Amino acid sequence: MTLLSVRNLRAYYQTEAYGISRTVQAVDGISFDLFPNEIYGVAGESSCGKTTLIKVISGNIKHPLKVLEGSVIYNFNGYQVDMLQISEDELRRNVRWKQISYVMQGSMSVLNPVRKVIKTFEDIVRTHEGITDKKKFLEQTRAHINRLGLPTDVLNAYPHQLSGGMRQRVAIALATVFQPALIIADEPTTALDVVVQRGVLHMIKDIQAMSKNTVLLVTHDMAVHANVTDRMMIMYAGRIAEEAPTESIFNAPLHPYTQHLINSLPMIGEKTTRTSLGGSPPNLANPPGGCRFHPRCPHVMDECRTVVPDLVTVKERHRVACHLFKEDSV
Amino acid sequence: MRKFVLRYLIPRIIQYLTLIFVGITLTYIIPRLAPTNPVEAQVSMMIARGSSLDPDAIEAMRAALTELYGLSGSPVEQYFAFWSRLFRGDLGPSLGNFPTPVSEMIGQALPYTLRLLIPALIISWIFGNFFGALSSYYPENKALNVVEVLGQVVRSIPYYIVAIVLLVVFSYFIPIFPFSGAYPIGTRPDWSSLDFILTYLEHSVLPAATLILVGFGGWFVGMKSLTSNIISEDYVVYAEIVGLKKRNILVQYIMRTAMLPQLTALAMSLGTVFSGALIMEVVFGYPGVGSLAIRAVYSNDYSMIMGITIYSIIGVATAVFLIDLLYPLFDPRVRYQ
Repeated sequence: MTLLSVRNLRAYYQTEAYGISRTVQAVDGISFDLFPNEIYGVAGESSCGKTTLIKVISGNIKHPLKVLEGSVIYNFNGYQVDMLQISEDELRRNVRWKQISYVMQGSMSVLNPVRKVIKTFEDIVRTHEGITDKKKFLEQTRAHINRLGLPTDVLNAYPHQLSGGMRQRVAIALATVFQPALIIADEPTTALDVVVQRGVLHMIKDIQAMSKNTVLLVTHDMAVHANVTDRMMIMYAGRIAEEAPTESIFNAPLHPYTQHLINSLPMIGEKTTRTSLGGSPPNLANPPGGCRFHPRCPHVMDECRTVVPDLVTVKERHRVACHLFKEDSV
Repeated sequence: MRKFVLRYLIPRIIQYLTLIFVGITLTYIIPRLAPTNPVEAQVSMMIARGSSLDPDAIEAMRAALTELYGLSGSPVEQYFAFWSRLFRGDLGPSLGNFPTPVSEMIGQALPYTLRLLIPALIISWIFGNFFGALSSYYPENKALNVVEVLGQVVRSIPYYIVAIVLLVVFSYFIPIFPFSGAYPIGTRPDWSSLDFILTYLEHSVLPAATLILVGFGGWFVGMKSLTSNIISEDYVVYAEIVGLKKRNILVQYIMRTAMLPQLTALAMSLGTVFSGALIMEVVFGYPGVGSLAIRAVYSNDYSMIMGITIYSIIGVATAVFLIDLLYPLFDPRVRYQ
C-alpha cells in the first residue's frame, strides 16, 4: 500500500513582466511513491527543484508556481486525497497538520516573534481540534514536549530567547502534535552546527520509530541521508536521476551524476584528492535538451543530447534515468 | 524593579529632560540670532506712525520695551531670567495682543485643538491601520481596492485643499454644516448646556472629517507597506501552511507585528498636536493653537511663537518618553535593561 504516489509531475514557475515571459522548469516529469513507515530522502544540489517538489506535494502551490500535468494522490488509511483537485477548505480542515505536517526550510524563523511558543501550539490545536479544556491542553502539550526531550520552559519563552537548535526542535515538535501520516522536513539541519544537527536528526528518527509514520527528508547534505534515510532519490535539474535504498545509492551508484556525488564525499583515512565535476548545473529556465546532465557527463553519447532517458527499474527498488542502463540490464 | 529604575527609567528621564532643555534653549537662541531687534522695530514703527515724541519719551519707551521683552542685562543674565520666568509658568505677554499673557491665550486655545485633533488622530489611526492590513492581505478584494485608491488620492492632495473642498461641498452647495468657528459667533461657550455642546460638535464635523480623511490615507499607506513585507515573512507563510484560520493569521501574526512601528508613529503624532493643525484651523476659522500660531507669525508676536514651540517640544518629548516606557509591553523583543 502506498501513502503517496506522484505520477509524471510537471510544475513550472511561469512569470511575465513587461511582455517577456519566463518559464522555470523546476519539476519536470517526476514519478515516485512513498510508503508508510519509512524515511525517504530527497537529495540534489541547490536549485534542482527539491523545494518546488515539496511545495506541490504538500499543497502549497502559489503563483507563479503552476502544475502543468501529473497527479499527486494520497491514501491516508483509506482516505483518498488528490492534492491537485482538493478544495482549499477540505485541505485545511482534514489534511493539513492532521495528515501532512511540514518542517519548513529556515524553520528557525517560523515562530511568531512577538508571541510565546505556547501560543503557536495553542493556535494549531485550536484550529484543528479545538480546545475545550485549557488545562488539559497545557498538560498534553507539556507531555508532548517532554516526550521529545525538550524542557517545558521553552513553551513560555519567546522565539528570540531560544537558540537556533532549540527553535528547530520546537518546529519539529509543532509538526508532530497530531501524529501526522507524513512529515515533510525541508533542510531541517541546514544552518545548525554538527552537534545540534545530530540531536535534531536523532529526534526525527526517534519520532518516526515511535509513531511509525513517513518522513520525507529533503537536504543537500549526503551525510544526513547516509545516517537517517531508508530510501532516497537523487534529483538533478528538476528530474529524478536515480532512486534506490540509501545503502545501494552509497554502495553501488549507477547514474554518472550519483557516482560523482558519492565519490566527492571524503572518507576517513583516504588521502587522495577529490575530483570535482566540471561545469555547473543547468539553468532551469533554459535547460539542455535530452538528458539534462549530458553537458557534464563523462560517458556522454549521441542519444543523450536528444532523447530524454526514461527512469527504468534496473534492480529491485532501484531506478535510474540514464541511457547507459536499459530495463533489467544490470 | 530596582534594576528597571536604575538601568532603564533613570537614563530615560535624563534623556527626556535633556531633550526638553536643548529644545527650549534652541528656541530661545534662534530668534535672538536674527538680525532684527524687536525693540527697535517697535520703536521705529511708532515713529513711522507719525506720533511726535520727544527723545526722552522714546528713550523711556525703549527701556520699558527692553525690560518687557526680557532683553535687559547681559545675554547670560537674560537666559537665566528666561528660565526663571518659565518655571513660574510665565511665557511673557503676547506682543500681538498686549498685554494678555501668552500662557493664558494658549490655555484658552489648547482645549479646542486637543479635543479636535486627538480623537481625529486616534480614529484615523485605527481605521487606517485596520484597512491597510486588510487590503494587503486580501489584494484581490474589490471594495478594499476602492478604499485604497480613495486613500491614496486623499493623501496626495494637500490637506487644506481637502478642507476647502469639504467646506464648499458641505457648507455651501449642501449647507448642512456651519462655515466657520467652533461655535456660532456671538455665543459664549457654556459647557453646561447640551445645546451648546451639540452646536460645538456640529462645528467640529468638517475639521474632524478633513483630519480623519487625510490621516486615514497616511496610516493606510504606511500600514499597507509594512504588512506587505510581513506577509512574506516565514512565520506568516508557516501559519498558512499549518492551516490556521485567515482571521487568526491576520490579527495575531500580521497586524500584531506590523502595529509596532505604527504605535511609535502614533505617539509622535500625539506629541505634535500641541502645535495645532495650522492651515486647517485657519480654513475653518477654528479657535485653536494653529490659528494662534498663524496670527502670531503675521504679527511678529515672537513670545507667542516661542510659547507654542515650547508646548510642542514638551508634547513630543513626553510622547516619545511614554512610548519608550510602554514599548516593551507591546514588543517582547525589547526588554527593560
